[in-house]
Amino acid sequence: MASITRASVSMPSLSTSVNQSQRRISGMNSVSFPVSGRSMIPSLRLQRGLQVCCAAKQETVDKVVAIVKKQLALPADAAVNGESKFAALGADSLDTVEIVMGLEEEFDITVEEESAQSITTVQEAADMIEKLVEK
Amino acid sequence: MASTSVSKGQILSLYRSFLRTARQFRDYNIREYTKRRTVDGFRQNRGLTDPSSISAAFSEAKSQLDVAKRQAVVYSLYAPDIRSVMETDLKVIVERT
Repeated sequence: MASITRASVSMPSLSTSVNQSQRRISGMNSVSFPVSGRSMIPSLRLQRGLQVCCAAKQETVDKVVAIVKKQLALPADAAVNGESKFAALGADSLDTVEIVMGLEEEFDITVEEESAQSITTVQEAADMIEKLVEK
Repeated sequence: MASTSVSKGQILSLYRSFLRTARQFRDYNIREYTKRRTVDGFRQNRGLTDPSSISAAFSEAKSQLDVAKRQAVVYSLYAPDIRSVMETDLKVIVERT
């Protein structure tokens, strides 16, 4: 059971964009997979090539918004979109660092110092994530 | 310490280094403690305005970062095989039963 748990936990690093389509289909708001998760693994790899690349997909922005809300302890219905500035939402520089760290863990990327200090809005964070995930 | 005043960027870099070091721990307890302690420690000293007290707090934080890095190496020598129950994904377990 432990090995299966591990597989489900490390799934996001495979392909976050495919994760999103899974989410939409099943309507679940979490990273875990339905019971038949094991049989779905080969099909995930096939779907990977069908994703269209553009500037900051909506799913990425949604994920960033979720992490920001969790970090700043905002209510679920707070109006946070791509243009929201972290400072306007009540985040200080320490909160911004924690948000960037949370994004690093969520998307399995590493952000350098200079890029991390220049992020001020949700959209900038999403664009940077897209750029790093593509590599 | 060549410069007498510590810049905001240096403090944020130190904060980031702490959180990165915390991630290296495989043990759930020490990892969460490191994260919690850095957040608490940095927030507690947020309101400092006097440059000498700021640099004193900064150098203390730097020595603590060295401690954390050393401990990360030591802990990795005896990394646990079993993950803590806090890290198990309960949703997967519930769905499978």
